[in-house]
Amino acid sequence: MSGSLAFWRHVEDVGCLIEINHTPERFGAHVHLDGDPVIAPGDRVCVYGDPIDVVPGHDMQVRRRARIERATAIGRAWTRLRGQFEVAELFEVSFTTGKLQ
Amino acid sequence: MNVHAPMEAAPRPIPTSADETLEMAQADTMLSPRFYTTDYAAMDRIDVSAVRREWDTLIADMVADPNRKHFHKTDEFEGVIDKLPPALKAEFIDFLVSSLTSEFSGCILYAEIAKRVKNPDVKQLFKLLSRDESRHAGFINHTLKDAKIGVDLGFLTKTKKYTYFKPKYIFYAVYLSEKIGYARYIAIYRHLERNPENRFHPIFKWFQEWCNDEFRHGEAFALLLRSEPGLLQGGNKLWIRFFLLSVYATMYVRDHMRPEFHKALGVDPTDYDYRVFRICSEISKQVFPLTLDIDAPEFRAGMESMRIANEGICAAKAQGGLAGWAKAQGWKLRAGFAFARMYLLPVEENAIPETSRLQPAW
Repeated sequence: MSGSLAFWRHVEDVGCLIEINHTPERFGAHVHLDGDPVIAPGDRVCVYGDPIDVVPGHDMQVRRRARIERATAIGRAWTRLRGQFEVAELFEVSFTTGKLQ
Repeated sequence: MNVHAPMEAAPRPIPTSADETLEMAQADTMLSPRFYTTDYAAMDRIDVSAVRREWDTLIADMVADPNRKHFHKTDEFEGVIDKLPPALKAEFIDFLVSSLTSEFSGCILYAEIAKRVKNPDVKQLFKLLSRDESRHAGFINHTLKDAKIGVDLGFLTKTKKYTYFKPKYIFYAVYLSEKIGYARYIAIYRHLERNPENRFHPIFKWFQEWCNDEFRHGEAFALLLRSEPGLLQGGNKLWIRFFLLSVYATMYVRDHMRPEFHKALGVDPTDYDYRVFRICSEISKQVFPLTLDIDAPEFRAGMESMRIANEGICAAKAQGGLAGWAKAQGWKLRAGFAFARMYLLPVEENAIPETSRLQPAW
């Protein structure tokens, strides 16, 4: 269900598979939610449980539960609007922001 | 790729003692990527038939994967970072971490798009892009391990909020990000070919093939943009101006905050940045109907105003308190004003060529 209520967040739990590649050849991490539910603007996803211990040099997969917190209609509209002003974060051209000292 | 600044690495103080250096080196870098969603239905409607021949050639290049075996570090990497002077070491690590976070973010963004779209052309492209980003990230991560810097993936079990961008913003931003990434790396690579004594770390030898990946990625986004000519006309020209200027200004401001890195390479950040702007502007003529007049004195003055304003913001933040906050607001206003003035400068019109495919010949 997508968050169409104006003020109430809808929360649902799903299973998920976390896939981590931590080798010199590949480095990435992906959370695959069971059933591939649509994640809409402003929704929040949180994987339950302790931080995942990653062993460098290996690929690993972990099964967990995750909570999807649907954005309210207002939150969704706000996220779309903010997206207009945050587009610059899509490019990284050099260093991190800020001074080092 | 260089998608974005979606991840922030914790800022690292420059160590002043051996103990601090050790402490910094042993710290794990927390990756905190941002998560995006977009209009996948619009992505599904993309039709590349107008550029099919160029598209198929490019995809065949990417499937052939010429750099499959390239990204393996050698023994000459061992211990190099540890031997760098502290200030250079801090800036170089910041460079690596920043590159790692952008490759890692790109990997996540591209994989997510590949998973969600049904359009077979778009799906295949984004899978290939994600493969390359993941490989680049692995290479940098392995290099960072030499300096005993691990990566903390704690974000996986934290709440992730999904931000939304329209597909066209992703296309403009990522096209430029890939192309300016190419221009940055090739400019350093060529400079170090002429001045090998400034190659303070062996990773720079990998830059040529590395940036050829970025170049190919940019080619793909050029074709996506050309497949929808509306994105390159009318009101969208204002967006193109905005993206060109923001990517250039971001790079200029940030490069000038890393003096030791540029000094060690033997480049002046201003000269280097204008060389990169020139390459990127030349490449972007393949798809954008305009280029910025980077040689106009007002443009150069505007970039300097942005740099000075950014230094003012940093100083004001370091000062803290209400006075610091007020000063920071003042500097932000000046930065905004300088940006707006540059944005309103006349641009150079460009007639988009019949076909866009370029070879990385810089």
